Amino acid sequence: MFQIYLPIAEISVNVMLMLGLGTAVGFLSGMFGVGGGFLLTPFLMLSGIPPAIAVATGANQIVASSVSGTLAHWRRGNVDLKMGFVLIAGGVVGAIVGVLLLKLLREVGQAGLMISLTYVCFLGVIGALMLWESARAMLRVRAGKAVAARKSGQHNWIHGLPFKMRFPTSRLYISTIPPLVIGVAVGLLASFLGVGGGFIMVPAMIYLLRMPTNIVIGTAIFQIIFVTAIVTVLHATFNHTLDVVLAFPLVIGGVIGGQFGVRAGQKLRAEQLRALLALMVLGVALRVLIDLVVRPSDLYSIVPLVGS
Amino acid sequence: MRATVVHLVPLFLALFLAPALAKTKAPETEEEPASQEKVQSDISTRQVSIQSNFTGAEILIFGSIDFSDSRTPGEGTYDVIAVVRGPNDPIVIRKKERVAGIWVNGPGKTFDKAPGFYAVLSSRPVRAIASDRTLKELGIGLSDLDFGRHIAADPQEQAFRSAMIRLKEEKNLFQENDDGVKFIGRSLFRANVALPVNVPTGRYTVDVYLFRNGAVVSNSQGSLEVTKAGIEAVLYRLAFKHAFIYGLLGVALAATMGLAGWYAFRRD
Repeated sequence: MFQIYLPIAEISVNVMLMLGLGTAVGFLSGMFGVGGGFLLTPFLMLSGIPPAIAVATGANQIVASSVSGTLAHWRRGNVDLKMGFVLIAGGVVGAIVGVLLLKLLREVGQAGLMISLTYVCFLGVIGALMLWESARAMLRVRAGKAVAARKSGQHNWIHGLPFKMRFPTSRLYISTIPPLVIGVAVGLLASFLGVGGGFIMVPAMIYLLRMPTNIVIGTAIFQIIFVTAIVTVLHATFNHTLDVVLAFPLVIGGVIGGQFGVRAGQKLRAEQLRALLALMVLGVALRVLIDLVVRPSDLYSIVPLVGS
Repeated sequence: MRATVVHLVPLFLALFLAPALAKTKAPETEEEPASQEKVQSDISTRQVSIQSNFTGAEILIFGSIDFSDSRTPGEGTYDVIAVVRGPNDPIVIRKKERVAGIWVNGPGKTFDKAPGFYAVLSSRPVRAIASDRTLKELGIGLSDLDFGRHIAADPQEQAFRSAMIRLKEEKNLFQENDDGVKFIGRSLFRANVALPVNVPTGRYTVDVYLFRNGAVVSNSQGSLEVTKAGIEAVLYRLAFKHAFIYGLLGVALAATMGLAGWYAFRRD
């Protein structure tokens, strides 16, 4: 009854299911302050959407949730525009490379495998690190010690790099090379995995660039709008893998779920949130890994020729 | 009440006499040339539109045998085979192999012209209707399909071929139905074909063959067009012909929804 035909994926899906998936992912992303792409794209693949279409459509959905997110942070003055644009410059380069790489892999029939493998590696490592970090933080809180605050005078190897620039909002005077590199990495991940890349950008900005945490999140979400928008347009142009009919219920669900998620997230402690998020990231990595190692029920598969 | 009984009497008489009449008529018809029978057929719809509520479609192939010798339905003088063929497309079949503990796609085989949809419907099992040679010549039956590769000696080739047929059968894109053609009366027949949701678009041909004693005595051909229609067609064309604009549209849609969501839920 609620079946809708997807013009690009050329299959019929249940609108209510997609709306529910969008809402659930939106809720979690609002709660944890992440884009949610790392959950959405694997779930789309598990529900039968071809991997390349799941990636492009997942990226499109993140555009919506990051627009709402940025507006909320913008009003609190938590967006470093200058830093955002440096990150975007790197992101464009990464996105182009990632889209072309995916096109190449699709032609040799390895797109699904490489997307899954990259998911397992990234989510596995990030999830394990986050779990370790949040467990330590929880133990520290229990022991009654204060969490170490940022020392403004502290310098690391980042400060020895050339092409320095002043970022007044973040109260930083650092080289533009690290933010550019972070931008490239995030652009690559976004185009390859259909994720916003917040889960890698936020720790990198906090620990490498030593930006204030409140500004990190606002700036990351701001940058994610542009990177996912570019990724969406590039995938649509070069791979024809964007399905707007699929994106529509996901976007609506995501926007609504996100608002409730933000409220739910405010009731939990930061380190508890991080531990929960880490467990979820590891869970997704494990689920994708199982699909890779368990003997498939049918060894053969039909791969349509690209461009036919 | 009385009147009905009276009316029924001639009908009973006719039923009793029919086999006797058929027997006496039989020698006469054998003298006539066999090519006299003619099959005519058509499809219930010439155009299948894929719209947003598309979940598959059912088409009806119907026809009749002109100058039929058959006196009673189900006599078995004639057999009908209907073949529905979708547009040919090259496809690649890949086999997964285990490499370092994970399953990866190994090298594949390309079939240059696999039909996107193929259905054989018949009044009896096709092997009982005609010889293998006749079926092969007409391209009837999955085992005789030409996929544009002719290296039959290679045993691996056969494995890929049958895997492709099996996968397409699972998706209902390949169908074989041994009693898909039903006779109604002595010369009318009908066959239902279910097109699944993932049917490829393009021009489909429908061939109807009339068999008598294992040989084709007449055939007729029709066609239908499967097209995307409405918003689905607009989006599909946009996505492939004006891909950049389509991408921008997707982003604009998402950004607008994000903006609307923020506005609706803002708390100040």
